[in-house]
Amino acid sequence: MNTAGKALLAAGVATAVTVVRRRRRAPDDQPDGRWLVVTVNRAPADVQASLPEDLTRWKDEVELRITPASGDKGTELRAKPVGGTSAHDVRLALRRAKSVLEAGEVVRPDTAPTHPGPMGKVLQLVTSRAAGGGRL
Amino acid sequence: MKALCWEGINDVRVQDVPDPQLLNDQDMILKVGLSTVCGSDLHLLTGHIPFMQAGDVIGHEFMGEVVEVGPGVTKHRPGDRVVVCSFIACGRCWYCRNELYSLCDNTNTNPGITQHLWGSDPGGVFGYSHAMGGFRGSHAEYVRVPFADHTAIAIPEAVDDMSALFTSDSAATGWMGADLGGVKQGDVVAVWGAGAVGQMAARAAQLLGAERVLIIDRFEYRLAQARSVFGVETINYAETSVGDTLLEATGGRGPDVCIEAVGCEAHSTGPQYVYDQVKSKLKLEMDRPIAVREAIYNCRKGGSVFVLGVFTGLVDKFPLGALMNKGLTVRGAQQHGQRYIPMLLDRIASGELVTDHLATHVMPLSEGARGYELFKKKEDDCVRSVFRL
Repeated sequence: MNTAGKALLAAGVATAVTVVRRRRRAPDDQPDGRWLVVTVNRAPADVQASLPEDLTRWKDEVELRITPASGDKGTELRAKPVGGTSAHDVRLALRRAKSVLEAGEVVRPDTAPTHPGPMGKVLQLVTSRAAGGGRL
Repeated sequence: MKALCWEGINDVRVQDVPDPQLLNDQDMILKVGLSTVCGSDLHLLTGHIPFMQAGDVIGHEFMGEVVEVGPGVTKHRPGDRVVVCSFIACGRCWYCRNELYSLCDNTNTNPGITQHLWGSDPGGVFGYSHAMGGFRGSHAEYVRVPFADHTAIAIPEAVDDMSALFTSDSAATGWMGADLGGVKQGDVVAVWGAGAVGQMAARAAQLLGAERVLIIDRFEYRLAQARSVFGVETINYAETSVGDTLLEATGGRGPDVCIEAVGCEAHSTGPQYVYDQVKSKLKLEMDRPIAVREAIYNCRKGGSVFVLGVFTGLVDKFPLGALMNKGLTVRGAQQHGQRYIPMLLDRIASGELVTDHLATHVMPLSEGARGYELFKKKEDDCVRSVFRL
């Protein structure tokens, strides 16, 4: 295996370890009462009137707040899990809601390759969580 | 269908893959006509960007004919001839509304990866790893185009396929460097890299009013092409001191605008290159920013540096002192193609902009691996390999 291959292997192992650690630390997936937020490029009244099912389905388990964004940036849409809903699921729902409100639909990923190989499978482990991961 | 797939480091092969399907209402399916290699693909081939899976279809600079549209597509119909921007854009988020299309909020299906790496996620790209959305690339008989109304642009009748092809990425990227770099009438502009993007940046600088444009590379055949097609001045850094030549060309001031079109695997001469090679091999830095350092060092006081080359992460020996004390403006971006492609097509139609000379090696997709080999090793005076489907 060449240097680049070793680097790829190391990167794959590191990301896999990160994912496994995060899964083990279930409480870490809770945002400790912090609001998760996206900015939607629509007026607050439009957002209020058209909240997608992705967000409203949780009812009392997720608190929602809609406020105008600064400047011309639209609406800040905040969500805070107050029940057992994970931050991962709330981030995913916020992103989906934003995409539906702005672009009319959520773009779907292309079908995965048929033979991703060992490193590709590690990467698939990462991407299976990436839509609800990251920073909000 | 047949497609050119990434199968591992430095291993691309033509494979049978499933035909693409309409997955969203705003999708269309394109029968690819022409698709070209890009310097940024080499970062995928070398494993520099470790987010590929075996079987991923690569390629992101392309044109073709619409064969199927979803019910949400209003601007295109089967039979239309279109060029497709390498960055997929929803057209309606705040970034798209502000013509910052490569920053689209709604097209990267794996935002978590790049949010961790860079703090925020840019938009999705065709055939450019799962960190950038995991979309299938264009080195294939057919490709799915999401948000087709905003990602594909109709090609005017007066523009031939090959000329239109390069507006998909290289011409738009180059124009953006000159435009957002702030090139003005009478400026002296230096461009690092005489590949397709560098040549397009140089031509854009001329059309935006630059008085002198100098382009820097080590491959004489690329410099010769830039001289003969666009009449720019050239500097071969393997033979001449770049800094001395730029000082002499600018009355001792340095260029007003410096455009970097090289990217994260830059080459150079001397100990600096050895240093970067060692650091990157040991994974103590992720990218080799040699051309960026040179651009910042040589730019005039109060000037502007624009980074067009693709970078992935952390670099070493970044000349922050020069940037701050010389009062420079440094910007960078992936291409906001939708902002420029219609204008570029018009300029091609009017004869102001020439792009088809970049296609030095045109071949069928079945020779895809050879096309990348020629391009990577700069053999046979290759500027771009283009696959005809």
